[in-house]
Amino acid sequence: MKIEQIYKVFDEYRGLSDSKLHPTEPKSEQFLKAFRELLDKKNNWPFLLPLRLALEACTHCGTCAEACPVYIGSGRNKLYSPVYRADMLRKIYKRYFTLTGKVFGSLVGAKEVTEQDINAMAEAAYRCTICRRCVLACPFGLDNGLVMREMRKIFAELGIIPEELKEEGVDNQLRYGSAPKISYEALMNILDFVRGEIEENRKNVSIEIPVDKVGAKYLIINNAGDYLSFLDTIRGIVEVMNYVNVDWTFNSPRTGVFDNVNYGLFYSDKDMLRVIRAHLETINKLKPEYVVIGECGHAYDVLGHLMKDLIPAEERPFKVIHIVELYDKFLREGKLKLDKHKNAEPVTFHDSCKIGRCGGIYDEPRRVIVASCRDFREMYPNREYNYCCGGGGGFALMSKYNFLDFRMKTYGRLKMQQVKDTAASTLITICANCKRQFLDMVSYYNLNINVSGLSEVLANALVY
Amino acid sequence: MDEYFTIFIGIYLPYITLVVFIVAVIYNFFKWIFLPRPIMWAIFPAKKSLANILFTIATRIFSLPGPRKFDKLIFTLAWMFHIGLIVSLTLHAKYIFIPHLPYEYEVGTIAGMLAAIGSVGFIIRRYVDKRADSYFADYFALILLIITLSLGQYIRMFRVVESTHLWTWVQGILTLNPIPPPVNTLFLIHIVFAQIYMIYLPFKTLIHPIAIFYGQKIILDQRHFKG
Repeated sequence: MKIEQIYKVFDEYRGLSDSKLHPTEPKSEQFLKAFRELLDKKNNWPFLLPLRLALEACTHCGTCAEACPVYIGSGRNKLYSPVYRADMLRKIYKRYFTLTGKVFGSLVGAKEVTEQDINAMAEAAYRCTICRRCVLACPFGLDNGLVMREMRKIFAELGIIPEELKEEGVDNQLRYGSAPKISYEALMNILDFVRGEIEENRKNVSIEIPVDKVGAKYLIINNAGDYLSFLDTIRGIVEVMNYVNVDWTFNSPRTGVFDNVNYGLFYSDKDMLRVIRAHLETINKLKPEYVVIGECGHAYDVLGHLMKDLIPAEERPFKVIHIVELYDKFLREGKLKLDKHKNAEPVTFHDSCKIGRCGGIYDEPRRVIVASCRDFREMYPNREYNYCCGGGGGFALMSKYNFLDFRMKTYGRLKMQQVKDTAASTLITICANCKRQFLDMVSYYNLNINVSGLSEVLANALVY
Repeated sequence: MDEYFTIFIGIYLPYITLVVFIVAVIYNFFKWIFLPRPIMWAIFPAKKSLANILFTIATRIFSLPGPRKFDKLIFTLAWMFHIGLIVSLTLHAKYIFIPHLPYEYEVGTIAGMLAAIGSVGFIIRRYVDKRADSYFADYFALILLIITLSLGQYIRMFRVVESTHLWTWVQGILTLNPIPPPVNTLFLIHIVFAQIYMIYLPFKTLIHPIAIFYGQKIILDQRHFKG
């Protein structure tokens, strides 16, 4: 469908379909009700303090704009400045929920809500990947990215959620065990193929792929998209786990959810909790000592961090780590004999926002890469200052209408240049959404670079 | 100027200002305390102990790492403005204890100029910079400050008010035995604007120290509720 056929509500792009947004229908009453509920302690205790701080303390200095990859990547389009987008909601907040806004109105930046504002806000909420780089720029530490996330939550209450995240994401995952609806038989066929492939490449090596093993030390839950789109990463995981010969297992739809993603993180705490509960039910059936998050960023954010504050400790009798932490542990324990000359081409590494800036994992992947690759080149900026690739916040899944153009011409443009500057021939990243964004970028810009997970790079360097 | 008006702005208004300012600041600080502790929402690298978090907040107040990295202009203006203002206010606060300090006119003049240049820079930046929309409230605070700072600067540079008289006036207010303020039109306008600013500030946005404390604490605190 061409963009001309649908309403333009914010900019020249659309991420939400008309059948979701219903741009001609009045929504202001519902919107204000949902906003009021968002500001209630009982409904939104986990995020209320940072949200209200961002709404009340911003001085509109605009410093955050220079940290925002979509603002920079778009050629500094004001519409994409974090403060501008957050101000769309801030104006309404002041008008309806503050005394000064009610009394002084537009003098203090308060504004009556209109139906046009609501449509524009619904789209604007999906112009930010919630990478939270802007927080680093704010002298007060205010989080305009969080404001976008909370705005998405308001719209979720109105049923305005991209199909890719809700119906094709959370709903599929809870119904079929994975968002891409991979059946047990299909999964086993994929794993059989992986086993055969490794055994063919590594002569005299016998490969085992335990599935649904109860009581294993390590339960590895992957982003199910990897089974379809990034099979090399699965192959790498299987090879490394066999090499170190530890007690591990994958799981399948027979145990419940075998897809580590949680798209609820991107639009609704309620759906996020539904997925967490489903993960817990599955994990507690398998009783592992460690839950290892396969190469996925937001899954690590939810299960590795947010779950700890949302679920009582007695209901989660296991530890959660990212697979790169496990690789780093094996490396430091001397369990991996590596030949870095097997990966002789120059490589670079992309710090995924949810694993680095929001997750705290920076050194582990670097240690593994340096041990596995001959020529590692940092991209700049990196670590907490790294630019989001543009696949975060659910964007990697969203391509309908002209949304791919948005992803590529803003975030993608900036990221592409950053990667090109390294002159690396392989880009390594440890998040499935980042990989998908990079693959789209390679195809969109016709780049000559290989996009890879860390697992396959590490596996390739193993010395038998 | 009318005698009653002088007495109002020099004797009654300071008490009104102090009460409004202190109550509003305390209210502003405590209303956040009663909001639920949020989920762990740190930006890494973050800190694992409260002492480390508080120390880092203290250093960030002065080092302003965000503006320093992303916007050198606002970093420079913020430094000029805040250092100028802090020194200037400290020289005002000395009247609580003593009437004079060595080199106070020289130091105060430089500080006042820094603060004035900073605030003029802020206004120009707001007007020129199109990354964020500014509202009347944003300009109003800066205009009040510029008027107050400029008058203060003039008063200090040309020594239009006796510092001993200022000292006794401040002492009178603090000991609840107020005396009339120095009668000088510019001085009276200066203290009127300063007091309007103090009354207005807590209602404009959340004042900086409170915003920094809570905002930075959230992003520096990597501790979970349990385990």
